[in-house]
Amino acid sequence: MSILAYNGGCVVAMRGKDCVAIATDHRFGIQAQTISTDFKKVFHIGPRMFLGLTGLQTDILTVRDRLMFRKNLYETRENREMCPKPFSAMMSSFLYEHRFGPYFIEPVVAGLDPKTMEPFICNMDLIGCPNAPDDFVVAGTCAEQLYGMCETLWKPDLEPDQLFEVIAQSIVNAFDRDAMSGWGATVYIIEKDKITERTLKTRMD
Amino acid sequence: MARRYDSRTTIFSPEGRLYQVEYAMEAISHAGTCLGILAEDGILLAAECRSTNKLLDSAIPSEKIYRLNDNMVCSVAGITSDANVLTSELRLIAQRYQFSYGEVIPCEQLVSHLCDIKQAYTQYGGKRPFGVSLLYMGWDNKYGYQLYQSDPSGNYGGWKATCIGNNFGAAISMLKQELADKENVKLTLADAKDLAIKVLSMTLDTTKLTPEKVEMATLQRVDNKTVYSVLEKPDVEKLIEKYTKVQAEAEAAKKEKQAKQPTK
Amino acid sequence: METLLGIKGPDFVMLAADTTHARSIIVMKEDQNKIHKVSDSLLISTVGESGDTEQFTEFISKNIALYKMRNGYDLSPRESAHFTRKNLAEYLRSRTPYQVFMFVAGYDPNAGPELTFIDYLANALPVNYAGHGYGAIFASSIYDRYWHPNITQAEAYDVFKKCIAEIQKRLVVNLKNFTVAVVDKDGVRDLEPISAASLAA
Repeated sequence: MSILAYNGGCVVAMRGKDCVAIATDHRFGIQAQTISTDFKKVFHIGPRMFLGLTGLQTDILTVRDRLMFRKNLYETRENREMCPKPFSAMMSSFLYEHRFGPYFIEPVVAGLDPKTMEPFICNMDLIGCPNAPDDFVVAGTCAEQLYGMCETLWKPDLEPDQLFEVIAQSIVNAFDRDAMSGWGATVYIIEKDKITERTLKTRMD
Repeated sequence: MARRYDSRTTIFSPEGRLYQVEYAMEAISHAGTCLGILAEDGILLAAECRSTNKLLDSAIPSEKIYRLNDNMVCSVAGITSDANVLTSELRLIAQRYQFSYGEVIPCEQLVSHLCDIKQAYTQYGGKRPFGVSLLYMGWDNKYGYQLYQSDPSGNYGGWKATCIGNNFGAAISMLKQELADKENVKLTLADAKDLAIKVLSMTLDTTKLTPEKVEMATLQRVDNKTVYSVLEKPDVEKLIEKYTKVQAEAEAAKKEKQAKQPTK
Repeated sequence: METLLGIKGPDFVMLAADTTHARSIIVMKEDQNKIHKVSDSLLISTVGESGDTEQFTEFISKNIALYKMRNGYDLSPRESAHFTRKNLAEYLRSRTPYQVFMFVAGYDPNAGPELTFIDYLANALPVNYAGHGYGAIFASSIYDRYWHPNITQAEAYDVFKKCIAEIQKRLVVNLKNFTVAVVDKDGVRDLEPISAASLAA
C-alpha cells in the first residue's frame, strides 16, 4: 500500500461566488486501525487562508511547521500578510526542493486574496506540481470519490450557504465509501468579512 | 599609545579595555534616540527619526522599529546596516525556536541568543563589533510585559524604562526622576506615551518636536493575543500638542508666581 | 511485542508499561522499567528497538533538563512533545533513524494534562487514550467502553487492570508484569504495579 495512504484522511476545497470553502475529515489511523477521531488536516494559517494537508501524518506536521517558518519570516520581513498565491508558489518550490526524497503529502490551499478578495484554490502532488482550477480541488485516500461527488454537485457562482451544502454533501458521501477516511468532518467557509467553521455529524464507522 | 591596541577587537589594552567595543558604544551615543517604557497595561517604544527629507518614499511605514515575531518588537540605535543584519538574525532565531518547540520564543531567550552573537564579534579575530544597541519590547507567558536593552559588547538587561542613543544619559535620569515620584502609582500606557513625548522633547537637540521626527509603537495583550501597533502621525501630533499645552500652562503659572512675589 | 498504555483524565495522565525485555525468542529480563521520569511533571514511556529506546529517551530527557538549567523554567508538556517529535522526524530521514514508539505525558499548571502519542515515523497526536505494541490492539476496545471525560485516577487504574487482564488472556506473548505511573498537579509518582499475581488476588 502507498505510504500516502498510511494514515488515511481527505481534504477538499471549492470556489464559490466571492467565497471559498475547505473541508477535512477527522480520522487519524495507522493503516486499518483508527487511533484518533480528532485530527483535523486543515490549518488556519492566515486571516483568510487555510492549508489542508493529507498523506503521512508525520510529514503533514513537518511540512506545516516548515511552511509556517518560511511564511512567518516573509511576513515579518515584508511587513504584510502573505497572499494565497505566493504562499502556494513558495510551497511548490519547497516541495520540489525535496524532489528525490519527498514529503509524502498532498497539499490543498484555499483562501481569498487580501487585496482583491479574489477566491483562490490550489492543490499539488507530493513534489509540488501546482494546479489552480476555478472549480474544486481534492486530496486524500478518497480523491476519486470526491471527484465524482464534486463533479456532480458543484456549479459556478454558489453563494456561501449553498457552497456549504455542496462541499458538506461531497465530502460526507465521498468518505462514507472509504474505510481510511471519515469519522466526522469540519467545513470552513471563508468570506470577505467572516469565517464560518461547522462540524458535521457523520457515520462513525 | 592606544593605537597599538585599538585596531584589534580581540586584544585588551594595558588598562584592561577593549577599545573597539567602546568606540562602537560611542558611535551609538550619537545615533538617533530610542526609549522604551514599561507600563502596567502595555509597553511602548519611541524613536527619533533623523532622516526627515521630504523626498523620501513614505511607503515604508517604520524605519527604526521592527517587528520580530508574534510577541516581540525592537527598535535600534546605531548603524542601520548593522541593525538590519541583527534584526534578520533575531527573526531567524525566533522562528527556529518556534519550529523546534511549537511555541513562541520567550523574550529573554531571544535577547540572550542575539547577545551571544554580538559577544562573539568582540572576541574572534578579524571581526568588528556591531555598532548597534537595541531596545526590545515583548510579552511572554512566563514574565508578562518585558523591556530589554542590549549593547555592542553583548551585555543586556531588563528595564522598567530606559533609553539608548543620543543624550541617553540625560533621558535616563529624567525617566528615573519621573518614575521615582510614581513608585506606588500604576503607570498606564497613556501616561507612558505622555512621558515618552516629554522626555524626547526635552532631550532631543531640536527646539520643537514634530510628528515626522518621532516614531512610536505600542504592544499590548488583547483577548489573549499580542497586539502591536505603530502610532499614526495625527496621534503623535495630538500627544505633542497636549505636551506643549501642559508645558505652556506650567510656564504661565511660574511667571504668575514670580510676578506675585513682592519686589524688594 | 512490548506494550505501552496511556490514559488522560481531566487532571492527570496515567501510563502503564510492561517490564519484559526480550530478544528474539528469549526473555532476558522481567523488571525493565520503560516509564522515564524526565522532570517534575513529565513522563516519557518508550518501547521499540532495544538500544534505540534508551538512547533516544536519554537524548530527549537530557535536552529537556538542559533547557531547564539554561532558562530556569521547565519546557511545557506540549513543547516537550513537539521537541521530541521534531527530533524523531529529523532522525527518520537520516541514515540512523530511531525505531521508537512513545508517549509523552505531562501536567502543565495552566494548560492541564497532556498525553501525546508518537510512533516510530514521528506521527504524533494529543490523545485521551491510546496504546503502543501488540497489547494495544486488545486495549483499544476496552478504552472505548470505559473511558469518559471525567474519569478518576482510580477508574483509570481499573481500566488498565481490565486491559492487562485481557492482554494476558489473549496475547500469545507472555507479558507478566506492568509498571504504572501517574502525573498530576502534585508531580509524577509510581503506582502499584499490575501483574498476573496481583490481578489474581
